Amino acid sequence: MSRNQSSIDSTMMTEINDMLERATRLEKWPLARLISQFETSTDKAKQIRHTVIEALNNRPDKMKKNGLVLGITGTPGAGKSSLIGEVCLNILDKKPELSIAVLAVDPSSQRSGGSLLGDRTRTNFPINDNRLFFRSQASDLDLGGVGKKTYQVTRLLRHLFDIIIIETVGIGQSEIEIEQLSDHTCLILQPFAGDQVQFMKAGIMEVPDTFIINKCDEDSLAKKSYHLLKSSLKLVNVSIDQEVDAAKKIFLTSAIKQKGIDELSSFILQLYSDPAVRKDTREQELFYLRKWVQQEFGRFGTSQLNALPAYELQSHNSYEKKESIILDAIHAVIPSLAITD
Amino acid sequence: MTEQNNHTIYDKNGKPTIDRPWIFRTYAGHTNVWATNALYRDNLSKGQTGLSIAMDLATQCGYSSDHPIAKPEIGKVGVPINSLDDFHILFENIPLEEMNTSMTINGTAMWLLSLYVALAEERGVDISQLKGTTQNDLIKEYLARGTYIFPPEDSMRLIVDMYEFCLHKIPSWNASNICSYHLQEAGATPVQELAFALVTAITILDAIKERDCFTEEEFERCVGRISFFVNAGMRFVEEVSKMRAFCEMWDEITQERYGVKNAKYRRFRYGVQVNSLGLTAEQPENNAWRILIETLGVTLSRKARCRALQLPAWNEALSLPRPWDQQWSLRIQQILAYETDLLEYPDLLEGSVVIESKVKQLKDQAYTEINRVLDLGGGVEAVKTGYMKSALVSSQSQRMGRLANGEQIVVGKNKWVEGLESPLVSDSDGGIFMVDANAAQKTLDALEETKRTRDDARVKAALSRLAEEAKSNNNLMEASIECAKARVTTGEWSETLRSVFGEYRPPTGVDGQSMSIKEDSESLVSVRKKIANFIETHGYRPRIVVGKPGLDGHSNGAEMIAVAAKHAGFDVVYFGIRLSASDIVQSALEENVDLIGISLLSGSHNEIITQLFDELDKNGAKDAIPVILGGIIPEPDYDSLLEKGVKRIFTPKDFDPMVVMGEIMDVINEQKSKQH
Repeated sequence: MSRNQSSIDSTMMTEINDMLERATRLEKWPLARLISQFETSTDKAKQIRHTVIEALNNRPDKMKKNGLVLGITGTPGAGKSSLIGEVCLNILDKKPELSIAVLAVDPSSQRSGGSLLGDRTRTNFPINDNRLFFRSQASDLDLGGVGKKTYQVTRLLRHLFDIIIIETVGIGQSEIEIEQLSDHTCLILQPFAGDQVQFMKAGIMEVPDTFIINKCDEDSLAKKSYHLLKSSLKLVNVSIDQEVDAAKKIFLTSAIKQKGIDELSSFILQLYSDPAVRKDTREQELFYLRKWVQQEFGRFGTSQLNALPAYELQSHNSYEKKESIILDAIHAVIPSLAITD
Repeated sequence: MTEQNNHTIYDKNGKPTIDRPWIFRTYAGHTNVWATNALYRDNLSKGQTGLSIAMDLATQCGYSSDHPIAKPEIGKVGVPINSLDDFHILFENIPLEEMNTSMTINGTAMWLLSLYVALAEERGVDISQLKGTTQNDLIKEYLARGTYIFPPEDSMRLIVDMYEFCLHKIPSWNASNICSYHLQEAGATPVQELAFALVTAITILDAIKERDCFTEEEFERCVGRISFFVNAGMRFVEEVSKMRAFCEMWDEITQERYGVKNAKYRRFRYGVQVNSLGLTAEQPENNAWRILIETLGVTLSRKARCRALQLPAWNEALSLPRPWDQQWSLRIQQILAYETDLLEYPDLLEGSVVIESKVKQLKDQAYTEINRVLDLGGGVEAVKTGYMKSALVSSQSQRMGRLANGEQIVVGKNKWVEGLESPLVSDSDGGIFMVDANAAQKTLDALEETKRTRDDARVKAALSRLAEEAKSNNNLMEASIECAKARVTTGEWSETLRSVFGEYRPPTGVDGQSMSIKEDSESLVSVRKKIANFIETHGYRPRIVVGKPGLDGHSNGAEMIAVAAKHAGFDVVYFGIRLSASDIVQSALEENVDLIGISLLSGSHNEIITQLFDELDKNGAKDAIPVILGGIIPEPDYDSLLEKGVKRIFTPKDFDPMVVMGEIMDVINEQKSKQH
């Protein structure tokens, strides 16, 4: 028997159902407590996750949600939070029936493990509006800015909200993981001058689907940045030959002067209504399973994972179910290893 | 002419003379305009020679007393001013033309000056006779004190408008007062005080230059109107040297950067309030000696002596001082000025090799820092990027670390802590002043009366003129004075400008900060162990929200707690100042935190804690999320706060942040054990 099969008793089941019922109505506190279960590393939390995802998957079709996950990343000071705040309000103004969750990931201290989650500073959301939910998350020493916890919470949010925005700080090689997690990725830049473009590595430039030059408070600098960015994208072979492409690829915004907000939120709504934009979540699931196995059990674990028959992992089992399958496979081998020692 | 002595002061004609003392002030205001007027007249009769008006937080932040966010604050840390009618009562039987009036007002400085001008005009006083100062230093508000309203560029414009108006109409008025006082309170080192204050002055003068509204001669006079407000701390040799460095640097900057020829206009003119941060709640009677020593730092050196002085009271770390406590502080000044021979001698420190070398060191380091900030784009830019703010938060956390490690001795706090209880606090009032909670109603009634009796058409016209001129680039002083005369309220004036300029939220400065606490310190090791156990048991890292509700913008405490909590190993949600109870509760719920920590210094803790619990209750979370409170909380209030549900109360006595963190972890664990 797998070590994870301790049962959820009936009181707990009632509690989970109540939390889920209220979370689907987007009541803030029950929803927040449910999110915490997706960030918690106990066996009990894992079972709750399994139960919750099963329940959500079994909802009648018309109640099902498949939210758009938008990754927004950029260097500190690029004005991500203020811009996201403005864009969310603008989207809800256009489409009052939609709901948006923002998940802001901040780095944890390498020394203490603690973190300062300060993105609320710049996001002026109204009070008591269930259409908007803001949650901070610490990266928890996971290099890459986003990690397993982010993936787990995103899994839940996709089922509950129409649009999910994942905000991360910094852009570097390690930041590429956000692409994995999102249906569409935006990079926020500050207006820049010529030689700065050369600092950008080709690898990074290939990650975002869309570029946003924020803080374009002044027209001439904004235009200059736009043209520089366009030509440097050509350099790294990102196809952007036609003006039509450029209009989808590069946005010029200013949260202070309310410039470009309308265009950007219309663009996001367009992405939202296009089913082709949604990525296959099973691939994400496998990516995070692999990553987890690699971290926990190294090359040995990965080899066990690869040895599993494909149908085991391709099936519609929940993430937790797949986790158990791999764990069982690994634990089946470990005792024999111990004997040969 | 007779032979002159080196130890005698001579006047212009070579006659022996003595210095005039500085202006004696008491920073004062409370309850309402009637009570404050009585207090002023009492203080003036005791030998005070100037007024220093403390406004309540709502007035400072541009809200009328009837605004919901203002209600817990009415009359708490200063006097509430809603309209010109209030000013008439505040200055009743006080001759404006004889006063030197200082107003500690920043975001709404233009409004309060407009009220003062309108009052003079309605009384028939020639406004060119008015003397005084509006503090009006917004840069330090973004950095340290938090009563800013508008974005930096718009704030700078209001300041320049006031310089332009004052130079022509009220030549003896200091339109702004570069204020390094709060920088020291926020943890600034002497070098940072010198550098950031002088950068602020440069930023203002550059903005005036850009406006190009003065002739060369007028610009020189304008430079001569720039005054400073500084702080003096306990390291008094360093403080004396700092003041001398200030004088020399200002002379150099105004000459070299702005070409001011007349030496009179290059003089560093400053007023002082000595440091309150270093005053202790433990053995509070020791503060009297601290205040006297700090006073010497700004009076001893004739070349760099202050123009005006106001001293805190011995019991300020406990709560508001009573009139007797303020009187005692005034007496320190009078004894120093009139009983000692201090004012009879020329500069005592000239020729001291120690002082000269220290001054040089401070100047060199401050110039380096000034050039760094100017390279970063100047004062406004360094506010927007958070550079200066994080420099201060960093200095403050180092200071906290030194206190906790015992590297910096504070008598009665971290050394020689055993002592007899002070008879000064054994009075029935506990040795502190409490504002009468019912007195706020009188202010609200007066505001109601003003609104009822004024000419609405005139109000509407005055406000739309203000909005129009704000959108164009006209000087806003005349429009504001017309608003004052039309009985526009403080809230209406600011609301109109808010709608044009927007409201500003600066960076908190806590990003990337850490504490300088020894990794092996007992309290740190202990709290980290508690956190590790928690993670092991519950499968996640404990999360707390640090909230700073109300209008009190002294965010040091909250920032230090946020930085310390991260250092201990918590996930900390901190999102700045001036939040409502609902803001804080909503974030606590959305973030599903294990504890809410509230920081409050303004004395409105009873009202705000009630609001907070009501809000938690509404969301069914009252018993689920524990609340702790930190700040200046008088002991008589403890019982009722604990009864309301506050789990722990921390005051400045709890100076080791890791001990505080350990107790926070205990509260969280108590809560967790209740749930299982």
